[in-house]
Amino acid sequence: MGPGMSHLAVLPLLLPLLTGTLLLLLRRLDIRIRRGLAFASLAGLIGLALLLTRVVDGGEILVYTLGDWPAPFGIVLVADRLAVWLLLATALLALPALFYAIQGGAGAIDRDGRHFHVLFQLELFGLNGAFLTGDLFNLFVFFEVLLIASYGLLLHGGGRARTRAGLHYVVLNLAGSTLFLFAVGTLFGVLGTLNMADLAVRVAAAPPESAPLVRAAGLLLFGVFALKAALIPLHLWLPAAYAETGAAVAALFAVMTKVGAYSILRVSTLVFGPQAGVGADLIQPWLLPLGLATLAAGIVGVMGSDRLRRQVAYLVVASVGTLVAGLGLGTAPGIGAGLYYLPHSAFAAAAFFILADLIARQRGALGDRLDPGPILGRHWTLAGLFFVLSVLVVGLPPLSGFVGKFLILRAALEQPAAPWVLGTVLGCGLLGLMAMARSGSLIFYRATEPGPEPVHASASAARPPPPPPSARGLAPITLLLALAVALTLWAGPLFDYTRATAEQLLDPAEYIQAVLGAGP
Amino acid sequence: MEVLIALAIGILTACGVYLVLRARTFPVVLGLTLLSYGVNLFLFAAGRLAVGRPPVIAAGSPGYTDPLPQALVLTAIVIGFAMTAFVIVLAIKARSELGNDHVDGSHGP
Amino acid sequence: MNLPLAVLAPFLGALLVAWVSRRGTNHAAWAAAGVTLATLALLAPLLPAPFAGHTVIQRLTWMPSVGLDLGFRLDGFGMLFALMILGIGLLIVLYARYYFSERDPLGRFYAEMMLFMGSMLGVVLSENVIQLLVFWELTSLSSFLLISYWPQREEARRGSRMALTVTGAGGLALLGGLLILGQIAGSYELTDILAAGDRIRAHPLYLPALVLILLGAFTKSAQFPFQFWLPNAMAAPTPVSAYLHSATMVKAGVFLLARLFPALSGTPEWLVLVGGTGLATLLVGAVIALFKHDLKGLLAYSTISHLGLIAMLFGIGTPLSALAGVFHIINHATFKASLFMAAGIIDHETGTRDMRRINGLWRTMPHTATLAMVAAAAMAGVPLFNGFLSKEMFFTEAVGVSERMDLGWLVPLAVTVAGVFAVAYSLRFIHDVFFNGEPVDLPRSPHEPPRWMKVPVEILVAICLLVGMLPALTVEPILAVAAQGVLQGPLPPHDLAIWHGFSPAFAMSLLALAGGGLLYLGRRPLFRLHTHLEGRLETRKVYDWLVAGLFGLGRWATDRVDTGSLQRMLAVFFCSALVLGAAGLWSDLSLDGGRAGLPPDGVSLLAALSLGTVAVLAAAWHRRRLTALLLVGAVGLVVSIAFVKLSAPDLALTQLSVEVVTVVLLLLALYFLPQESPPEPGIWRHARDLALAIGAGLGAAALAWGVATRPLDSIGDYFLTNSVPGGGGANAVNVILVDFRGFDTLGEITVLAIAAIGIYAMLDRLRLPAPERDWTGRAWDSDVHPVVLAAFARILLPLALLVSVFVFLRGHNLPGGGFIAGLVTAVALILQYLANGVSWTNDRLPGDLHPTIGAGLLIATLTGLGSLVLGYPFLSSAHGHVHLPLLGDLELASAMAFDLGVYLAVVGATLSILIHLGLLHRGSHNPDAHAAAGRETD
Repeated sequence: MGPGMSHLAVLPLLLPLLTGTLLLLLRRLDIRIRRGLAFASLAGLIGLALLLTRVVDGGEILVYTLGDWPAPFGIVLVADRLAVWLLLATALLALPALFYAIQGGAGAIDRDGRHFHVLFQLELFGLNGAFLTGDLFNLFVFFEVLLIASYGLLLHGGGRARTRAGLHYVVLNLAGSTLFLFAVGTLFGVLGTLNMADLAVRVAAAPPESAPLVRAAGLLLFGVFALKAALIPLHLWLPAAYAETGAAVAALFAVMTKVGAYSILRVSTLVFGPQAGVGADLIQPWLLPLGLATLAAGIVGVMGSDRLRRQVAYLVVASVGTLVAGLGLGTAPGIGAGLYYLPHSAFAAAAFFILADLIARQRGALGDRLDPGPILGRHWTLAGLFFVLSVLVVGLPPLSGFVGKFLILRAALEQPAAPWVLGTVLGCGLLGLMAMARSGSLIFYRATEPGPEPVHASASAARPPPPPPSARGLAPITLLLALAVALTLWAGPLFDYTRATAEQLLDPAEYIQAVLGAGP
Repeated sequence: MEVLIALAIGILTACGVYLVLRARTFPVVLGLTLLSYGVNLFLFAAGRLAVGRPPVIAAGSPGYTDPLPQALVLTAIVIGFAMTAFVIVLAIKARSELGNDHVDGSHGP
Repeated sequence: MNLPLAVLAPFLGALLVAWVSRRGTNHAAWAAAGVTLATLALLAPLLPAPFAGHTVIQRLTWMPSVGLDLGFRLDGFGMLFALMILGIGLLIVLYARYYFSERDPLGRFYAEMMLFMGSMLGVVLSENVIQLLVFWELTSLSSFLLISYWPQREEARRGSRMALTVTGAGGLALLGGLLILGQIAGSYELTDILAAGDRIRAHPLYLPALVLILLGAFTKSAQFPFQFWLPNAMAAPTPVSAYLHSATMVKAGVFLLARLFPALSGTPEWLVLVGGTGLATLLVGAVIALFKHDLKGLLAYSTISHLGLIAMLFGIGTPLSALAGVFHIINHATFKASLFMAAGIIDHETGTRDMRRINGLWRTMPHTATLAMVAAAAMAGVPLFNGFLSKEMFFTEAVGVSERMDLGWLVPLAVTVAGVFAVAYSLRFIHDVFFNGEPVDLPRSPHEPPRWMKVPVEILVAICLLVGMLPALTVEPILAVAAQGVLQGPLPPHDLAIWHGFSPAFAMSLLALAGGGLLYLGRRPLFRLHTHLEGRLETRKVYDWLVAGLFGLGRWATDRVDTGSLQRMLAVFFCSALVLGAAGLWSDLSLDGGRAGLPPDGVSLLAALSLGTVAVLAAAWHRRRLTALLLVGAVGLVVSIAFVKLSAPDLALTQLSVEVVTVVLLLLALYFLPQESPPEPGIWRHARDLALAIGAGLGAAALAWGVATRPLDSIGDYFLTNSVPGGGGANAVNVILVDFRGFDTLGEITVLAIAAIGIYAMLDRLRLPAPERDWTGRAWDSDVHPVVLAAFARILLPLALLVSVFVFLRGHNLPGGGFIAGLVTAVALILQYLANGVSWTNDRLPGDLHPTIGAGLLIATLTGLGSLVLGYPFLSSAHGHVHLPLLGDLELASAMAFDLGVYLAVVGATLSILIHLGLLHRGSHNPDAHAAAGRETD
């Protein structure tokens, strides 16, 4: 493409990158100004995402050739329905997360440690890059960007348990990155290209003798993405990491697993789809069983957790399972259902992490342990939120969680695996409901007037429990709930969008043509 | 030559994996370093091996090896360096926070 | 659009009530009543339609593409339920106002009740079955809130959770069933489903769908064996029980049976499952009810029994039985609600519900007693009360069905037995409470309740009588349209006369009455038997055991799996990688691509050999850390030599410089860590790790071999041909880095920058106890830095900087470039720190490196943006010639500005990382160095 082309596709990357850099240079400025900058950038991102949605909704695929080098030689950014959907979800999720990070005056999360806002912006840079890039090695680079930023964020604030969880998370992901490079190296070594569209073409045309290497590389790639997505048995890192980090970070991380799911979906449809010759249907068959197993494992964890934040973390695992099961159905309705479920699960988990934090902060040494504690400030408000969020996250009517599950089950009915999907999803829904009812009953119904309770007393002696959350403190949750309600009310058009997305993915020719056809 | 490289990569990976599976942070870091050597060599070898054909355009050169893998490896090296630096400092922090340098911070000092 | 509004109104009303209730309980009560009346008013204009035989259907689009639109439907049956929900609801609002004490948060009760009312209306007015399910689950949720109205009471907490679990489970099963049903019928609209009855019954998925749907209906309507949640739900305030557990929620189950009657009924499966379950429930409920000492307990089990009766009627499946079912729904709602309210009054007045203590209330509260007796008579099925009529029909149907099957005579027998028990427990309710001697130490001295508390009971009891005596004049019309709504067709001939002549049914009624009397007289031994059996054979126990087991299992599994051991996670990860890789390679293992490789020469052989040995030694001696570190460094050196040999000078340079910095870094770090690793126990763990390691090694080698031995058709040639003309540089690698794939590099330096920032943040506020002596026991040498080294380093610095400039400038054409130059500079500066100490160096260098890093990123990004301004894509480059002394003719590309950014970022990041570790060092010796560190605060 020549002069005058639309730069829309690259702006979602430049905005957070520049904001992050500026925040690094201007870090001596008053924190309010820096927060202002951060929010401005987020507002911009949301605006850009909405704008892009309008562009790609018609089915157009924006291709941006960085450095003006034609694909497959240069790196291209590709904004199709899928990428834009995730951009939007991420930006919308980041807003309440950031909002919560600046709550609480001197005790605010973003004051508790250095460079929070820089890391936050660069995390967004990495996420958006991963969603937009059309080049496999560049995807690796952006994985590293979002990972190292996430290391910083996860460890932000420090503390014993957090450091341990951080160490595990970092080491495990470094091992993952190595595997990623092995896979990329193999694919390049056999096919001689890195551009994903070009890879798709060359895989389809690859001679049979290259089958073992191509298939091995593809599956290794799947392994890397499964680690990021926390698919069983690679989900064990998630509960500790998400439960120990700061609530605002955990809220943002609700979208991190989705990067893995995104990459799985992208690669399995574009490069290893049914049309892919020696690599045909390489990943798809793994998704449904692994997804259902992950869902079950997550729910077992939810029932087995003795702390609320761990429980929520396991709910994230379960939601990943549901999502991947949806993608694993492999049909347009199934993938569309999964994609509808994706932002819902992110919003719900984020809200729940924040709520858990609001509760834990008030219970002193008791923290988020699932034991009867004192009556909290704004007790019934928090209880009500807990009730609503449980309904949301477990997937009971009438909120988006139910819509998502309904769509997935409906899509599953057309397939031989229907009994498995129905049984697992519905059964896990029930177990999740029981577990959340138990937790809520323990925290709120069995709460007693803060009396001479030894544990709590010692804590309040150390530092008095912070005042009950102000209306402003509840705003992030309210915002996330509003998003979930919006997902429910406009479920019709939104699902139409996600199903169109799925159809676009299932016909990669369009994508390939857009990328390889686009040159100067 | 290919055999040698393959073997070298294999050995580096094996030693790296073994060290990464150790119970103390420092060997784990060393293991990760070895792994990155291994994978860098692999990435490099994916561009095929050539002697005396550096990808620097010059008159009368016998030919050039594929420059792309070299660029990739260079990027990989830098990222690997950043990661190593981060994880080793994290190891120090972990020791000071957890009281010992066991990867799970348990099992005595 | 009145129907959607009518359903929505109570939900909005809940908010209104909650808001108003702050002004006092009376406001809340009035608001609730107002909301209920408003809802009735919204429905009023539509009521004539069903009587005229029309079905009102109103739709709002929601998700048309999946057949999920909001559809609302008002036919005779839905109307009957809607009127019951709202009518009885209104009475409950009034009753509750007097039932609750001043301490109870009445606002919450009314708000939650409005939520429930809305949900229930939604269930009975839904046209779309999925939407019906949504409201169905909402009734479960709102009833959970209502039952746990007094959360401080243990039985309220368990009762509510049990109800939620059981009905919730049923709801999920129902969802599955309805999905399948919709699949079969090709639509979720009731109209289509009811029309597709034959197709549904013939479909292979009929049975699964039926079972799942029945699970939903039976759990909701407390059918055997799910009945146990209902008695436990009696922990709820009595108004809740009177509303939910007599008239509305538990009726939702039988409502569903009736609603889907045309679509599902008429098969043997239906008869067996629904009829059989109904019969079982009828018997179990009736028998247990007799032995309950708790007033509400007795009523709860009697409710279960009557729900079983209704279910059985629908199970029998004839049009007439369906009509009888509808009729009994009405009757049961009236007399049971009034009985619950009466029980509430008694509880309210005496302070207990234990029938062993409540006796002879006739004297103190005759009015209430009369009302209760009438209702109880209706419950027993005494002639002239409404219960009798529907029960008579029920007996007739039971006789009818007995002729359709062998051993059929058992059915009339069983229902007669149930009738006997029904009479008996009704008798007990009357006799025990109002007569039977004197009260036993009641908490309060009973007297008649407030006037208005009795009004709702009076109204309902009046209905019982009117319907019982003048059925044709009172209930016939609405019953007819309701039954038509159920059957979706013409009504069978029937007449609601009190006297049908001496039919078998009448005989059964007489038997029941007589037998009931006798049974009650001879109850003593039975009670003894019951107290003997007490606690055995209780489904609730099974439930508790199940739940406890589930949570226990969850905890157990979680503790096993989630041990928080990094080593296990890594082992699992490597294992999965091996499995996946193997799964890929499996197809055929002949990896050799057959490409002629390079001949190995002695040097390479030696290099490879030494590399292998050194690596293995490093792994073997890893417990002696310094040794291991040096060995690893050696490996790095060999690797960089390999790069030289294999025509990758840039890589060699980079690898070398990174090597130096890394080793310095690890050395600095090792200072803070133990010098030795303790031995690790566990033979089999070592074996496992070795196996994994070898597996991984083999896998990597196999991939490498397979890749390196096959021909490659790479996009790489493009870069060689375009490097000079397109990128303005002869060093293709560097041109790729800063131009073709500059975006990778931008990401790469961002990673470096973030690492530096993250490390800074990590070390911030970190204080470390430094070892006083090294591992050999010698005290650390706190001596100043060696003079020679210092002097040497200071001379070296300018040279090094010059070199780095040179490397940087030539990078575009010859091996070199921003990254290597940056590392050289960094190393040179690090040397200053090592040689001259932090304070000396900090005085001469900017201690704060964040600006350098930031500037690097900024320059790189802005270079890219420059092309945006010119209308070219991000990072497009331009280049031209300049002539510089020494370096000669130089191709100067805009990409070099980008490379400058890289240079700065690398210098800044690397230095910042090392310096902070270094400062940590000095800090561990003498605290003042942190003053130096302090200069770098933000």
